[in-house]
Formats: sequence, structure tokens, C-alpha cells
Amino acid sequence: MDMDMARDALVQESRELLSAMEAALLQIEDSGADSEAINAIFRAAHTIKGSAGLFAFNRIVSFTHIVESVLDRVRNGVLPIDNAMLSLLLNCGDYIAQLVDAIAARLEEVEPDPVRRAELEAQLNQLLDEQDTAPTHSAPAAAAVTHTAQEPTVSEDPVASPYWHLSLRFSADVLRMGLDPLSFLQYLGNVGTLLNLQTLPEGLPPLAQLDPEQAYIGFELDLQSEQDRAAIDGVFDFIRDDASILILPPHASMREYRALLAARNDPQMLAALLAQGTLTADEAARALLPEQETVEAVSVVAPVAAIEPAMKLPANAPRGDEKKGGYEQKFIKIEVSKLDQLIDLVGELVIAGAGASLIANRRKDSQFEEAVQSIAELVEHIRDAALNLRMVPIGEVFQRFPRVVRDISHELGKEIDLVVTGADTELDKSMVERLSDPLMHIVRNAMDHGIEATDARLAAGKPLAGTLRLNAYHESGSIVIEVSDDGRGLNKARILAKAIERGLVSAEQVLSEREVFRLIFEAGFSTAEQVTNLSGRGVGMDVVKKNIESLRGEVEIVSTEGAGTTVRIRLPLTLAIIDGFQVMVNESVFVIPLDLVIECIDLAGLDGHHDIVKLRGEPLPFIRLRELFELPALEHGRESLVVVQFGQQRAGLVVDRLLGEFQAVIKPLGELFSRIKSISGSTILGDGRVALILDVANLVHQAVQQQATTQNGKAATGLVSPQKSNG
Amino acid sequence: MTSSIAPVAHGAGPALSQQFLTFSLASELFAIPIDHIREIIEFGGLTEIPLMPVFLRGVINLRGAVVPVVDLAARFGRAATVVGRRTCVVILEVEQDEHVLPLGVLVDAVNEVITVEADQIEPTPEFGARLRAEFILGMLRLSERFVIALDIQKVLSVEEMTQLAATEALSPEDAAVLAVTDQGF
Repeated sequence: MDMDMARDALVQESRELLSAMEAALLQIEDSGADSEAINAIFRAAHTIKGSAGLFAFNRIVSFTHIVESVLDRVRNGVLPIDNAMLSLLLNCGDYIAQLVDAIAARLEEVEPDPVRRAELEAQLNQLLDEQDTAPTHSAPAAAAVTHTAQEPTVSEDPVASPYWHLSLRFSADVLRMGLDPLSFLQYLGNVGTLLNLQTLPEGLPPLAQLDPEQAYIGFELDLQSEQDRAAIDGVFDFIRDDASILILPPHASMREYRALLAARNDPQMLAALLAQGTLTADEAARALLPEQETVEAVSVVAPVAAIEPAMKLPANAPRGDEKKGGYEQKFIKIEVSKLDQLIDLVGELVIAGAGASLIANRRKDSQFEEAVQSIAELVEHIRDAALNLRMVPIGEVFQRFPRVVRDISHELGKEIDLVVTGADTELDKSMVERLSDPLMHIVRNAMDHGIEATDARLAAGKPLAGTLRLNAYHESGSIVIEVSDDGRGLNKARILAKAIERGLVSAEQVLSEREVFRLIFEAGFSTAEQVTNLSGRGVGMDVVKKNIESLRGEVEIVSTEGAGTTVRIRLPLTLAIIDGFQVMVNESVFVIPLDLVIECIDLAGLDGHHDIVKLRGEPLPFIRLRELFELPALEHGRESLVVVQFGQQRAGLVVDRLLGEFQAVIKPLGELFSRIKSISGSTILGDGRVALILDVANLVHQAVQQQATTQNGKAATGLVSPQKSNG
Repeated sequence: MTSSIAPVAHGAGPALSQQFLTFSLASELFAIPIDHIREIIEFGGLTEIPLMPVFLRGVINLRGAVVPVVDLAARFGRAATVVGRRTCVVILEVEQDEHVLPLGVLVDAVNEVITVEADQIEPTPEFGARLRAEFILGMLRLSERFVIALDIQKVLSVEEMTQLAATEALSPEDAAVLAVTDQGF
């Protein structure tokens, strides 16, 4: 692992810990203090400090250290956790996040905001000082005991070894916390010379069950050092809470070694190990014998035991069978690039498989075809499983919002409750990252413009506190994300007036409610009379729409005046591979996402004119792809109609031939073709040719728009070009 | 944008030799510095993208990657290349926003790789090249004639080609809207 990777890991880990810390703080604010949450906050700060310390990111270490000191007192019940404390800690978390950002930007040498830091430090130190003047109830930190523990300089019954002996067992989670036991061993080299290092692989599970992110191995080592115990002990400052560390001085007494054996799992084996260097065979054998003067032994053992923190349990946990399977063990962190590589390979496999099945079909060899078929099924499973690896719960995005809502509602002086549902709905990781900003915009908008001020709510007979809902669910191959508020709703007339004023529509144009609401997404549209800090600058909703469309999704608004607004985002589940439906127009193959195909009909039997057919009594707008793409006509084409649906709208696409289903690995067309509507990407067919994937959302939109203009007929002539959408 | 034979522009500098690939468009010879070339493949058909300008011929599948192919002749405002027996696609690497983008150019035939000494490279002539001056990196003085060395970053400017593609793909009204929004940036 090179430094850059380690640094990235540190940044990511710290960000995760900070968000866990924030969640815990908000939980306390919400439902009162609970020791579990306080411990989680403390652990987060502690781990960040520890990891940053390994890299000598001193700005984080020194700041987090003060935070940790305060947290320690909170944990011990010395300092109360009230609202002021929560706010302070939230702000400290924000500042640590800034420091982490600085590390991510390779700017760790620069203090991001010295003024802010000084402010926060002053507040923290004030808390610490207040507490110091008050009588101290808290026990000094365990580390302090260690340092002051008196040195058993002259021991009875000393062993021959002139070296320090260190016995190290690490908590299974240390690697995941970014602490590599090896680096501590290497650092030990700074205080002395390592001699006679023994590894204890006893905790290792069988290879099949081995989790490479867990620390299993313990160490017994001798250290030749002139330093005192405090210096040697100090090496383990950062890992102390997550390890069991026993340090025995040179010529330690037999009792101490007995205590050491007693503290470890397998005294027999350990004694045998010690006999290979640290102790003489005789000493090792004697160490295994029970202590004669039991009473005395306890008193000698005590200082040694004090070194060992209360965290002995996790260190031993993986060895005991029933303690296995903690929450963390179910997860393994993988670099995203490795996953992407896997997905790319699966993509190639899908393409190669399609090639094989093409050949099988041509050969008309039924055995071959069967074999190819069963491979294809497996490939499909692998594809799904691989794609599944990238699926993450949308909760990853939602988790930012409790804090956002809290802060913004304070800022606006509104009381707003956030209700989150469907947080476990999964979608592709790459989409999660790109969803965050648009959602933030929508949420801010809802809080700023949607939910009324408190007095206006009372006047309208609504509950004092506004409710903002975040909801997510799966629907026919898409994920739907809704942001709803119970605010004032959209004022149709005002939007229309504004749009006319801005020249977005003409006064004579007749627009449906849906179309009026869509105007909000036009560039430069904003109805807020008062520009606030948060939103209303006229940028925002158009950017939201662009972002969502770049994810092949769509966004729509449903609103009832006076009762609230819902912004609904519909996105495909993944951007990597889709089930496609191949169609042919002239000589070109196009692919339609299968999820969106409703049915296919022979066009010959239908009465179609003016770009609308009657399908089972219902009018259905359609588009001839040949005309749209300006392809030459075929001689005697029997055309088919593919009925597609996007969101609530349906439309037909007229094609020359239907070729059937196939798994399409989506290959972006790149910047050069980024401005073509109607085509969302490309894919590679079994025979190696490139086929284009149709942008159904856009096509449906065009068809519906055409239908509208045709129906409105003469009333709306010339205002909107009948062939093109302006969406 | 920096050109890879910058010293030549000053006419002086160390006498470094540079390698170029020569190829023909219609019957005219052109050259590209070989550092930009990833590979050369025989033309084996491509997928056209509807509603694109003529010079954007389409896309090909290059071992699983979808690579755009530009018709150089059409890009220079000449008649589009007619695919023949010796038609090739030269895969180039074009820099764009710190990314390296593979891009194919359609040429009538590739000839050879030549080594050119620095003193054989003349600065861009001010007129008479039948080509936008910025597309020309320099003139290679070979024994019997001059060959135009192309500035591939300029010729294949993704930004410019995207703009051209966009105006083609949109109706005139939309293009006008686009022009307005683009001014805003």
C-alpha cells in the first residue's frame, strides 16, 4: 500500500467516522443522551486522531485531541451533554471534516480556517478548565496509570533475560481502523532493537474463512532498549484502546511471566514459544507451574494488568467461536476501482457470450446452443451479482439530511421535522455520489420556499412544525426518490406569470398543470420574491434537472396549492449494464431498455395518422425513428410499433424490425456526442458492431409534446416547433 | 495548447529528429507526429450516429471501447472520404481536460513512418495551404516536396467538434438558445 492509497483510505475512513459521529450527535439531540451514542462519538474522534497520528497530520491530531478530552469527560459524566455541547461538537466535527478535506487536497500543511479553529478551541478549553476547577470525579485515563505505574525495578526471582519482553494482541478490527500492527512494530525500532520476534498464528481461521481485513496474529518479542517503560509504552499510544499490550521489564520476576501466561489464551503454547528465546527452558517450565504464594502474586500482577486496558474482550473475541459475527465482520471494504474493473470484465464477458450464442444460432447445432444457453444464464447471474456489489442503500445520501435540515431550519427560524423512509432502497454507487447535490438543492428549496413561516402555518390551520419527507422505493426497474413538504404548494398562476414575464412561454399558450410545473426547471426561472441565502438565486432547479438527466433519469413535480409539493426523481438502477431490446431501422440496430418496453404491435393493422394511433381506444403518440434520424426508407417495410413507457407517459416508436432481447453493456458515447438527444449511449453487439441505445425518456417526451401541439392545433401555432422538444 | 515541435517555431534549438507518420487524403500527403498515434487499424465498417455533421463518421468498437471516428477530409471541408481497399483508421490519443481520449481518423491510406531532422521543418506558411492555418504544425521539407504536418490537438479539438455536432443535432431555434446559454458560462 503506497502512501497515496493510505492517505485516501485515511480520508475516507475519517469521513465515514465523522458522519457516524454526526449521526450519533443528532440521535442524542433527538432522543436524549445514551451511553452507546456517546461512546460511538468518542471512538470516532479517537480513531481519527489515531489514524492521523500515524501520518503525522498534526493539525488534526492536536485539534481532535482537545475534542477527545472533552468527550472523555462527557463519557465519564463529568461534563453534561446539553444543546450547547451538541452544537459545539457538531461544529468541531465540521472543522475536523475541513481538516480532512485539506488532507484530501494535499493541503495538510495549511490550516483551513485558523479563526474558526481558535474559536472552537477556546470553547473546548473553557469546558475543560471549568471542569478542572471543579472537584474531579473522573478516574484518570488508563494511559496515565500506565505511565505512572511504578517500575518493579528489583524483582524477586528474576528471569535471566536482560531484555524487555512485549506481548501484543490486537483487536480484530485494528486494520479496519487504519492501524497496522506492523507499523507499530517498525516504530518500536526507534526505542530499541527488536530481538526474537515470535508470531502467534493461533487466532488464524481456516483460509476459506479468513477475512484479510482482520488482524489475527499476536506477537511476542524481546526488545533491547535503554529507554524506560513510559517510552516503550508510548509507542502504543494510538492503538492502546484496541489492543492488549503487556510489557515486562528486563529481569522481570517469574511472577510477572506467570501473569503474562495467565492473561493469554494458550499458556502451554506461549510458554513453549517463550522458551525459544526469552526464557530458558527451565524458566518456561517454572512459569507454567502455579504460583506458590498466591496472595502476593496478585499484588505483583496488578500493575502489569493495569497496562492492559479494558479492551481485552475484542482482542480475544475472534478466537472464541460464539463471539464471532459482529456487525462489522459482515462487510469488507473494496476499492471502487477494483469493482469497476470487475464490472468491465463482466461487460466483456456478456459481449463475448452474445458473440458465442450468435455463432451457435448460425451453426444450428442444438447441443452447442444448449451449452451456450446455460453459459448465458450463468453469465446473467454473474452480471447481476457483480452489479449488486455496487449497489448501496440510498441511506448513504439521506444520512446527510438530518443535519442539513436541523441547521437550515434554525437558520430560517422554522420548525421542520424530517421523516426519512425507504433508506435501504438500493441503487448504484456511482449514482449515489452524483445524486447528493441535486437532492440538496431540492431539500433546501422545499425548506426555504415550500414550508411556510410558523405564523403563516398557524394562519393556514396547519401544525406548527412543517414536515419534510424523504422517500425512496423501487418501481419497474427504476428507483424513485421523493422529496415532499407539507408547505404552501406551487402557485400555478404565479409560475405562469413569471414564465410569461421571462419569455419562456407566450401568454396565449395553453399549458397543462404538469407543463406549468415543468417550467420551474427552465434556466433562469425563480419565483421567490426575496432572494435568501439558501436558494432563490435562479440557479438550482435547472441544474437539478440537468444533473438528473445526465443520470438518465427524470424529475417531475406534483403539487397541490396550500397542501404541499412533491419532487419526484426517477432514475435507472444502474448505469453499467441493462437488459436491452434490439430493433432495426433501415440497416441500423438500436437498443431500447427492456424495462421501458410495454409491448410490440404490428403497425399495419392500426389506423395511424398525424403521428397518433388509436391503441385499444386510447390515443398513443408515436415517432417514426426513420424520420427522426433521417435514415433512407426501406423498399417494402412491414413496420412495427414498440410501445414504451417512461414515468406515467407512453409513446410508440416505429421501427422496421424487432430483433429481440439482449444484455447491453452500456458504453458512453463521450463528450463529442453529448448533445444529441434521443440517444443515451451505445453498446457492443455480439458480432462486434456498435449499436446505439435510445433515450426513451427524451423520445416519449418528444412524442407527447407533438401530440399536445397537434391537439391544440391552430390555437398554439408557431409557438413551439411541432417536431422538436424544447425540454 | 503546446505543440510537440515547439523549438521549430523559433527556427533554432537543438537539432532533434522527430518521427512522423505520413498518410494520404484524396491524393494529398499529410503527416502526424507519431507520439500521438496509438495504433492503425484497417477500416472494418462503423456505426453511424444520426444527425451528426459529415466529418463525424460514427463510432467503432476497438476491443470493447467505443471510439469516435473523424473523417479528416470532411473535417478540412473537403469531400467526405470514400471507403476503399486501403482505407484505414488511425487511432490517436487526444488530450482533453487532462484526460486522454482515443479518437480515430479515417484516411485513404497510410504510407510510412519518416524521420525528419529539425532543420527540415519549416514554419507554417501564411497562405496557400488550403487548410486552416491553426491546423498546421509545420511543413516537412522532404526530398521532392513539402508535406503538411498536422497539429492534431487543434484538428481534433473535442470542444470545437462538440460545438459543431451540437449545432447540427439541434434545430436552428434550439441552437440559438444554446448560443445564449453558452454565453452565460
